[in-house]
Amino acid sequence: MSKRQLAMVMDLNKCIGCQTCTVACKTQWTNRNGREYMYWNNVETYPGTGYPKNWMELGGGFDKGGDLKPGIIPNLEADYGVPWDYNYDAIASGASFEPNVEPTWGPNWDEDEGAGLFPQDNYFFYLPRICNHCTNPGCLSACPRDAIFKREQDGVVLVDLDRCQGYRYCIAGCPYKKIYFNPKISKSEKCILCFPRIEQGLPPACAQQCVGRIRFVGFLDDEEGQVYKLVKKYKVAIGLRTDYGTVPNVYYVPPTESPVKFDANGKIIEGSGRLPIEELEKLFGQEVHGAIETLKAEMKKRKETGESELMDILIAYQHSDMFRLDNNYYKQVAKDKGQHPLAPVDNRYIAGKYTKSGHQMNFFHGGDLNVGGKH
Amino acid sequence: MKKFATAVVALAIMATSALAEVEIIAEKVNENLDVISHKSRIWTNTKFTPVTLYPQTTIRFNDAKANELNQNNTPIIAAIAAIYNKDKIAFMIKWPDVHQDYQKSDSTDAYADAFAVQFARNFSIPKELPYIGMGSVDRPVIIHLQKDSVRIYEPNGNGDIEHQINPNQTNLFNKDLEAFEKQVINIGVADYERSFISEGFRSMTQIKDGTSHSHSTIGYSGIGWLGTVSRSLKDSYLDLDAVAIPVSFAVWNGGKLGRNGLKYLTPWLAIRLKKGESELVKSLTEVPTGDPVAGIKSMTTYGCKGCHQVTANDRENFMAPALKSIGGYSTADYLRESLVNPSAVVVPGYNRNAHSKYKWYTLRENNKRVSTMPDYSWLDPQELENMVAYLKTLKGGNE
Repeated sequence: MSKRQLAMVMDLNKCIGCQTCTVACKTQWTNRNGREYMYWNNVETYPGTGYPKNWMELGGGFDKGGDLKPGIIPNLEADYGVPWDYNYDAIASGASFEPNVEPTWGPNWDEDEGAGLFPQDNYFFYLPRICNHCTNPGCLSACPRDAIFKREQDGVVLVDLDRCQGYRYCIAGCPYKKIYFNPKISKSEKCILCFPRIEQGLPPACAQQCVGRIRFVGFLDDEEGQVYKLVKKYKVAIGLRTDYGTVPNVYYVPPTESPVKFDANGKIIEGSGRLPIEELEKLFGQEVHGAIETLKAEMKKRKETGESELMDILIAYQHSDMFRLDNNYYKQVAKDKGQHPLAPVDNRYIAGKYTKSGHQMNFFHGGDLNVGGKH
Repeated sequence: MKKFATAVVALAIMATSALAEVEIIAEKVNENLDVISHKSRIWTNTKFTPVTLYPQTTIRFNDAKANELNQNNTPIIAAIAAIYNKDKIAFMIKWPDVHQDYQKSDSTDAYADAFAVQFARNFSIPKELPYIGMGSVDRPVIIHLQKDSVRIYEPNGNGDIEHQINPNQTNLFNKDLEAFEKQVINIGVADYERSFISEGFRSMTQIKDGTSHSHSTIGYSGIGWLGTVSRSLKDSYLDLDAVAIPVSFAVWNGGKLGRNGLKYLTPWLAIRLKKGESELVKSLTEVPTGDPVAGIKSMTTYGCKGCHQVTANDRENFMAPALKSIGGYSTADYLRESLVNPSAVVVPGYNRNAHSKYKWYTLRENNKRVSTMPDYSWLDPQELENMVAYLKTLKGGNE
């Protein structure tokens, strides 16, 4: 357990599925060096297969007794989809427009399909997903090398690429399948919650770029913060599939409103809603009822009285208000540890009991860092 | 029932005597062993000794597919040879494998065939060797691992992060860009050869301080693998100047998603370098003298099966390490020690949260693991020997 926990809240009522977050993440982290197929952030249509394909059925997480459940490691072709590109250069010389790999599957393959019958009662909503930076991470539990660690200062779950040997038990252990295997370097990689940005007081790229302003980022113990208010005070933001037992730290404000259904003649069925509550119960458990009740009550209160702290928070008048990243806190942590920037490696094993020295890390910008030292 | 059990044990004992561990004589040579490979001519004149590698069944991993593929594993027979000169020692292992599996650069679920050679860092007390599965607390081992793989890029190994950016995001064009991409390729290491120090799994740490020198090669013959390792007889991690040294071998089958603990391994084998008396050789080649059939009775009396899976026919519960291959990869001394002092070596659970219902061990001060198993040091010595004799017959596979 970390001392503090950084968390994210995503308001699903406001997600328009534009994938700006996905692209922000991809260009920042995953468009290169074996990560091409990875989506540390993706937005999937729910109900749908999701990414990787049917991730909810691939096992992992913990059973009632707290033991890790076996899981399946997805296949690149069948479950993630091989990334493809087009022959843009060749078109200029008259070639036809062709993909370099025959597309057979990929993330968002079933975009906007959803469930139900169009136009009577079809429905879907968007579910943006990143690593949940769980309090009890399945990936960390599964690693037989202690290569995954949860940062003490903010609970961000990271892979120590120096220790990782590419066994991939972490992928089987993560019930969200949000940790990926990089075959080029033979190591596992995952969302890092943009910790180099966070330490500078900037929100993760996905949250910063979100045009729908659906993402709040802050410390769970910061009672003045919106994340605290949404999760703890109003209890309208709930973890995804908490039945997996990993205690996720990305919270979702469930969709509260859905369009009415039409009858066979195309007439509106008054008082109907397209989104079955069972779908939300599956994702968010029984707590979803209380959350929706609170949201509806606050909406009503706002309409009647013009006052509602919860609605003000969810409207997000100022984008910058959505992020409470205490930069001074990180500065203090770095100072206390005598490291700047903070070392992105697990220091439990650096210059281990028998190994003679640590290793040098060369950063692209900023100073180099000697971790571990001699002893 | 008793008759049946007796027959099974008798069979197992026959197998035991057929595969009993013998010492392996390392031949002294004058040739340079620095860059020896499986193609080196020197091996044609070297004596190979057959050894058995047993499937690791102590703990279970959380990969559903791999568990399914490996549930009926049976031991495999490999051949081993050892040679040494004044400053290096080299080993060759040949093991059967009908399919070449390598780690691919475009697959998320392919695993490599591989082998490893393990050395005990301290072997002055043969009765207290490190745990065979990657060592144990205060009993470190040195491991040399060689996988069959394509070029693997190593982002941190060389400390190079500058070349980890997308070519499109550099401000380079044409020739400069080509040069950049060439540099990126050059960072890639040619193969997957690693050395580690370990005090039990989870603690395994790659040796990167440049003080340990080893060289390994791997090659596929069409029906199996040939692997060689050579290393210094003495460096800052190991001193192998002794009459005999304990060495163990492990192989992985990538086709069965083998990696990490999903492997086949030998027990500690005695590699003899010099003539003379050796307590180590005695310990590692000991054939227990107890009565295995009486051992079964004792195991029943003390309720061992309450926590341990003892034979493949017992229910898998992993309330304690499974013992179905324990006689294969453990020495009699290790089994004896485990009975009289269960906390001497405690295998950690396969993950931090495993077995939360039934704890294998509790953590005391200084993170010392104390086994949940009661100690049997009060047993009558003959009864202890009987149980050791029975445990030595448990050699994996489907009985």
